[in-house]
Amino acid sequence: MTTQTSQPAAVAAGRDIRRVPGIGGLALGCAAAVLILLWVGSDGYKQTLVTSAATYALIALGMYVPYLMAGSLSMAYSAYAGIGGYAVGLVSAKTGLPLAVAWLVGPIVAALLAVLLGLVTRRLSGFFLAAVTLLFGMAFTAFLIDAEALSGGSGGLGNLRPLNLFGWTPSHYQMVLGSAVVVCVIAFLLDRLRLSPWGVIVRTMRDAPRAVEAAGVRVPVLNLVALALGAAIAAVGGGLFTYSAGSITPDTFTLNIVFLAIFMPLIGGAGTPWGAVAGAVIAVELTLNFPAIETSGTLLLALGVLVIMLVAPRGVVGYADKLRTRGWALLRKEPDRG
Amino acid sequence: MTDLQLWLSAVEMGCFFGMLALAYYLIHVGAGFFNFAIGPYAMMGGLCTSWLVITYDLGVWPAAATAVAVTIGLAALTELGVVRPVQKRSGGGELPALVAVAAVLFAIQQLAGYVFGYPTLPGQSLATFDPVTVGEVTVQPSSLLMIGVALLSFALSAVWIRSTRTGRLLRAVGDSNRAAALLGLPVNRIRLIAFVLAGFVAALAGILFAPKAGVNSLSGLAWSLSGFLAVVVGGTGSVWAPLFGGMLLGLVEVFLPYYFGGQAHVYGMLFIALLFFAFKPQGLFVRTVRA
Repeated sequence: MTTQTSQPAAVAAGRDIRRVPGIGGLALGCAAAVLILLWVGSDGYKQTLVTSAATYALIALGMYVPYLMAGSLSMAYSAYAGIGGYAVGLVSAKTGLPLAVAWLVGPIVAALLAVLLGLVTRRLSGFFLAAVTLLFGMAFTAFLIDAEALSGGSGGLGNLRPLNLFGWTPSHYQMVLGSAVVVCVIAFLLDRLRLSPWGVIVRTMRDAPRAVEAAGVRVPVLNLVALALGAAIAAVGGGLFTYSAGSITPDTFTLNIVFLAIFMPLIGGAGTPWGAVAGAVIAVELTLNFPAIETSGTLLLALGVLVIMLVAPRGVVGYADKLRTRGWALLRKEPDRG
Repeated sequence: MTDLQLWLSAVEMGCFFGMLALAYYLIHVGAGFFNFAIGPYAMMGGLCTSWLVITYDLGVWPAAATAVAVTIGLAALTELGVVRPVQKRSGGGELPALVAVAAVLFAIQQLAGYVFGYPTLPGQSLATFDPVTVGEVTVQPSSLLMIGVALLSFALSAVWIRSTRTGRLLRAVGDSNRAAALLGLPVNRIRLIAFVLAGFVAALAGILFAPKAGVNSLSGLAWSLSGFLAVVVGGTGSVWAPLFGGMLLGLVEVFLPYYFGGQAHVYGMLFIALLFFAFKPQGLFVRTVRA
């Protein structure tokens, strides 16, 4: 399920175009993003879909480092995205600072909280870690409802100020464009990170923690860094979503989103961060933009995940990669090595 | 903490959590992992019963029997269709099984929401006699049934695991899948029996607990976590340990909100989880093995 399938793809593309690892994924991702943005045009509803997809993608990308690279399933990401969202709400409602500050403060606070939670749960893994982090997500929602003075209670925070970047206020469409760019950039950087020496250590840690520890790497520290990085990315997504929606309540980021975010890399393909992005797009398409069987889109997604897990454990990207290899092999009239 | 009515409520809650924990325990003993879909099984039992009674005017007993059968089917499907293939492919790694179980949990929730609708349905009481008054305490028939069935299922499980052939096989398979397979024991059949029994216990718990606060398709996740916590707090050293863990959580769930306000039990659960997972992850009751 977690084998690297697209590494040959990235390497092959790099040899053909330029020797930059991960450039192939970036090119494909950008092409897909342009196509989606062209499809969206000025349709307000479709723009909302893209923002949702970008948010889902960022939460899934945030989970990518700890969950698929380091192999520990932390499920507190509703809280991290919520922190990013509430940072936007609070900076807008309680301070006179420029709104852009929220995207600095939110990720930092989320990362600090992730480190704290990571320290408390550093000896846990598997089912125990999942249970504690789920409870943490629930407790965070309860806290948001209780702390009315800070978070506005169950009504949440609304009436956000418009974003102002050095006198320039981006329009709604420009925000949609911006979130697509942020997703592409972060996915590309994570792909590079996965292929970097640091990424290789983290991935080895998943499979053989004792060997990594014996080699002189501090596994707990590495785990904390992975968690903090993931939390910060998820907080960026939460902030983007809150800004586009114009308000945030304790129910904005539910545990449902965390479950969806676990499944997105499985749908898309766990081999590369772009798989998480592809999974996010498919998830949004199924859950939000499926008029024929509106109520059962999520059910379809859940069943689809089970089927994918059993039949095509490498996900959509892995499957496409296999097809591509087969196609090339046919074209070159070489024996199929895929 | 002198209000006896609250104590009764806590005991009832504890029995419910205890039964969920028993379902966890059965699968843990037989298959060596925690099946997070226990909560959704219980939700399925409660919600399916209510839905059949409300929509089709079915009697409570046939409705409950159908719901239990459906839940047992789901539990068997979880093992045969998802857990077994995934574990076979991943070779015993914990993460793939965990993700698979999370997917099952999510899928059952969505399935229940799609079939039975998303609003909360009132639970159906299996017992119809008048409330019994003991001193100052009024015991609702549903509470009496919940406590009675919980004690009975724990007693039966204890006897079953200790004294019957299948029960001993269950422990042998759970201790080491490979050794059991080498000895020629029917590993797959025993695991399936564990899942079916767990599904049965969970469905029963859901049906009996539903009258207390109603049930909706999203109840399952919180129940999963409570049951898991109960089995971790109690430990897996004895069949009765999950009941003890459940009782402890029942006290937390009832008395914390009473003294500290509405959401206190959520914080309490997190606190207990952190406390136990950090300092006593093996639980209170541990089977001691002579060295």
